[in-house]
Amino acid sequence: MLTGKKGLRNLTAVLLIGAAFNAALLATRLGAFHLPGNHQGYAPKQPIAYSHRLHAGELLIDCQYCHYSASTSRHAGIPAASVCMNCHKFVTDTLGSVRAEDEKAEEEGRKPRRMVSPELQKLYDAFALDEEMKPKPGEQQSPIEWIKVHNLPDYVYFNHSTHVTAGVACQKCHGAVETMERVSQVEDLSMGWCVNCHRDVNRVGLGGKSVDASLDCAACHY
Amino acid sequence: MVQKKPKDYWKSLQQRDDGTIALPVAGDEFVEVPQDERRGVSRRDFLAAAGFTFGSMALTGCTRAPVEKAIPYLVQPEAIIPGRATYYASTCGACSAGCGILAKNRDGRTIKLEGNPDHPISRGGLCAIGQASVLGLYDSNRLRNSLHKNAPSTWAESDSQIAARLDVIRSNKGAVRVLTGPITSPTARRAVDSFVKTFPDAQHITYDVLSSAAIVQAHERTHERRVLPRYRFDKAEVIVSFDADFLGTWISPVAFAMDWSAGRRADAAPDQFSYHAQFEGRVSVTGAKADRRVRVAPGEAGVVMSHLASRLAQRAGEALDTTGLAPCPIDSHVLDDVANRLWHARGKSLVVCGSQSADEQVLCNFLNHLLGNYGQSLDLEDSADRICHDDEAVQSLIQELASGSVAALFVHGVNPVYDLPNGAAVENAISKAHMFVSLADRVDETSKLATFVCPDHHFLEAWGDHDVGDGSISFFQPTMRPLHDTRSMLESLSIWSGKLRLAQDLVRETTQGRVLWDEAIHNGFAKATSVAVATASFRSGSVKAVLGIEQVPADKLTLVLYPKVSMLDGRGASNPWLQEMPDPISKVVWDNYASLSEATAARLNVGAGDVVRIGLSEADGAANALELPVLIQPGQHDQVVAIALGYGKEESARFAKLGPQWIERKELLGENGLVGTSAAGLLSYRDGTLRLSGASVTVSATRRKHQLACTQDYHNIEVPESLTVLGMDRRRPMVQETTLAGYKRDGKLPQHGHGTHHPDLGELWADDHKYEGHHWGMAVDLTACTGCSACVVACQIENNVPVVGRDEVQRKRIMHWLRIDRYYCDNDGDVDVLHQPMMCQHCDHAPCETVCPVLATVHGEEGLNQQAYNRCVGTRYCANNCPYKVRRFNWFEYARDDTLANQALNPDVTVRSRGVMEKCSFCVQRIEAARLESKQQGRSIADGDIQPACQQSCPARAIVFGDMNDPESAVSKLMARGRHYRLLEETNVRPSVGYLGLVRNRDENKDQSHHG
Repeated sequence: MLTGKKGLRNLTAVLLIGAAFNAALLATRLGAFHLPGNHQGYAPKQPIAYSHRLHAGELLIDCQYCHYSASTSRHAGIPAASVCMNCHKFVTDTLGSVRAEDEKAEEEGRKPRRMVSPELQKLYDAFALDEEMKPKPGEQQSPIEWIKVHNLPDYVYFNHSTHVTAGVACQKCHGAVETMERVSQVEDLSMGWCVNCHRDVNRVGLGGKSVDASLDCAACHY
Repeated sequence: MVQKKPKDYWKSLQQRDDGTIALPVAGDEFVEVPQDERRGVSRRDFLAAAGFTFGSMALTGCTRAPVEKAIPYLVQPEAIIPGRATYYASTCGACSAGCGILAKNRDGRTIKLEGNPDHPISRGGLCAIGQASVLGLYDSNRLRNSLHKNAPSTWAESDSQIAARLDVIRSNKGAVRVLTGPITSPTARRAVDSFVKTFPDAQHITYDVLSSAAIVQAHERTHERRVLPRYRFDKAEVIVSFDADFLGTWISPVAFAMDWSAGRRADAAPDQFSYHAQFEGRVSVTGAKADRRVRVAPGEAGVVMSHLASRLAQRAGEALDTTGLAPCPIDSHVLDDVANRLWHARGKSLVVCGSQSADEQVLCNFLNHLLGNYGQSLDLEDSADRICHDDEAVQSLIQELASGSVAALFVHGVNPVYDLPNGAAVENAISKAHMFVSLADRVDETSKLATFVCPDHHFLEAWGDHDVGDGSISFFQPTMRPLHDTRSMLESLSIWSGKLRLAQDLVRETTQGRVLWDEAIHNGFAKATSVAVATASFRSGSVKAVLGIEQVPADKLTLVLYPKVSMLDGRGASNPWLQEMPDPISKVVWDNYASLSEATAARLNVGAGDVVRIGLSEADGAANALELPVLIQPGQHDQVVAIALGYGKEESARFAKLGPQWIERKELLGENGLVGTSAAGLLSYRDGTLRLSGASVTVSATRRKHQLACTQDYHNIEVPESLTVLGMDRRRPMVQETTLAGYKRDGKLPQHGHGTHHPDLGELWADDHKYEGHHWGMAVDLTACTGCSACVVACQIENNVPVVGRDEVQRKRIMHWLRIDRYYCDNDGDVDVLHQPMMCQHCDHAPCETVCPVLATVHGEEGLNQQAYNRCVGTRYCANNCPYKVRRFNWFEYARDDTLANQALNPDVTVRSRGVMEKCSFCVQRIEAARLESKQQGRSIADGDIQPACQQSCPARAIVFGDMNDPESAVSKLMARGRHYRLLEETNVRPSVGYLGLVRNRDENKDQSHHG
């Protein structure tokens, strides 16, 4: 057992060596350093390389077509795979590759093959569907495990529906998602950033209307 | 003029006698554990040295975000919106009262029960046991599949074996016995009946330890109808109760509390305030609220009733043979007064009796008959033949079982080995059944003997119905998908009867053509039949006075076994919320005890915490004796020893590992390895019925001690000794009361303004807090509050308040945000009991806010005292500075390793971690939800839109929350009343919670002469 001052000295020495080691580790990652909880710029690879640029930017699908509960619930909602299937039951690959196959088939005088993009195949696999879009017998369906990009700490209660119905544009917090191939976190989503916006809209209003954006702690923390 | 001495309120005997609660229990708010000097490196030194290392490790860890997954449904179910709760109307199955509930389902999990405000029985209230029953869903002791000889089995396997054996029994004419608890479901009764009919020799037997069978038997004698009357406490101007704890545990306490408080409105015309007299031996919740409480031992109650009956019979001109009647054991002036009041309120009075003796119940019926109360304050319009318990049949069943002549025994909803006296003999008898099928949802004292255990659903997962009695049916519907591979008892019985019928179809069939199904399921209840008004007439010949007092030998005491508000017959024993709910009167948690009066304890030379041995006089065998610690209960009859039922269940052994696991931890369970001790061995059969009270017992000291965990002295509000002036009373006027007559005359409380003789106390934050929008406040009516603690449990569930265990409670670390302080007050040689719910008072000049060094607790725009957990560093300055002692510190990361139980957590409230302070938030999550809802609908928040969990649950409607800036809100109107006061007004903290003083319907002169 360690006793008295000598013991403490030994222990401190060990711990300080540890501290130096940690500092060395930290130095290699300084470029990526940010304050705890701030994940600005976070852009994880998703299980399916879904492109917001294509769907929201080019095809102009409304955000709330997929994130359907943004105006009714706390959560905007990650769409169920069944929402994808509304279109992708029929659209199985990009227009370009389908046309190319069509032309090639015409040249070769055969029926065009069914084209399936490798990313969409993952969707069909989740439903355990075969080539003819019929469920494969005996195969387990499994939901798609998306990686959360915008993740607030557990002690913050952010409510999408209030902000959406008050007229805050999605891009205000999420950035120009319709231009992103892979979604990344644009804003730092810190408390100061939230509060600044609340102060601003209380002063200048939102969309020409005056709003009452609370600055109470308990508006978000409870 | 005589100077009126203020009434003396005290929380414990020590405080009464010494004027204070001694250190270290109450003086130090936080009892610190002394640091052990012998350990080499002190905690402080180690932390100083380790700071560098762990700090730098934390920084290196900050460069990467933890990966969180978002996993949506594969196919989106209709009507489920993530993050939005769905409410299903159903019925509470926690006891046989059948209150209406709205079960809150969030993302597929049922997480909270609210009272259904439209329901004919409960009208929005829900008791503590009902509130806590949601945790039963996620009880890890529940069976996850069926069992065969205590090994897991499949339903197909169990069913085929049971069916095969039943076929043999049918052809051999073997005896089949079905033993159940009280069945209030018409469908279940039909299912059991049709199951029983498939056998040549089968019988259905029911029993209930908390039986109302005597009332039914008495009505059979007096009215020739086997019914349980419907009591209407709201229609009674004079209520006389003989040991019926109708506000706590008797028959349907939520409905009765609702009616009782509706009949006691001090601010309306005087005739809307009932007079309530309670005759009882122990101190019940109901007795605590009575205007006159008379101590009567169980053996004397019959004679007191006979005396009352003879007085009233004389006036009514009816005959009652009282030859040989023993002299009245209580002051006859008291009885004269009660008789007078009853007589003047003929047709508007009500006499109830909680006894299990049919003779006493007949007298009770006679009293109601003499007063013309039938058809007024109680009626026999009961459509439900609900109570058919037959204790004699249970006894003969056990004999039959012991003889080995029962071929198959089916048990549902009861635990006879635990419930009945002489459990060993019952166990032995049951094990002689050739086949024993239990439908219990867990392995308990009885079902561990079973050949097959076929677990039933939890009531929140099942279809069912409940006969309300007035022609309405209350429905159960599944509020979530069954968690485990369990099966409805209705379906099990139908399979064993020959053909599977789905429970939903069976329930629907029962009321086919009488109710609109969709509407009934939406509302949770429906009117099924209209009940004809009973024309039963009273048979006077059936009445016999109870003549003699049962004499108790001088060295013995009379036993009173009682169901406790949180435990009833033990159905709450596996629920940690109920185990940690302080008893409304004794404030003890996690134990049962032998209550003795002060004089009796002195006579037996035992003190609080001394273990005594209690034995039945007749048997006196070691088997029936039990050992319990003593609790000294002011106000109890000297001849009575009172013991709560429902403790010492085998499954309470699971709590051995509850609470923080740390080095100074002490054993949580008793010497028997269980929570408390079972008192079932002291139940006795008399005149063929199972009696809770009346037996003579010996009580002897054992010279051992068992420290009870009792919260009554905690969070005490006294003037510190260093600040007292000589002769100053260190207690503060927390509870205030008056008499009805005094209140009518003065329109205010007698002590109103007490302690407020001071210069004008100025505004502290006039410029900072203007309260221009809402200003939230709460009013608590002490006249209505019964102390039943439904609010305490509702708050615990809503706000994810942890359970800490017996050891931590003894260290004053109970975490309840809402506590109920209980005060005693001497009254003419007796004691009054007063209850005061105490939660964060959300002071406008909050002392906690000014001392927080990190601004973790700050004032909101709407008057809320906010606590930001993630900012709190745990200095505890705020708790130290809180005059009301309502702040709670998380000393530990309270055990959350029961992942199944964690599913009951409310996702709208942060689960606090170690080292932060917490307290009542006025259910700010509900305020925010109402605000967002109203904003989206483009309107302002209406009065009543926000109900904190405590208010929602309150069966007496004692708590009202609302906007104090709105003069039309209910809370503003209450605060304008003359009996409204705020606590510690002299400190100028300006609480947002106000109290309405307790009003008792008492003779003012008598009160003055006593206290003058």
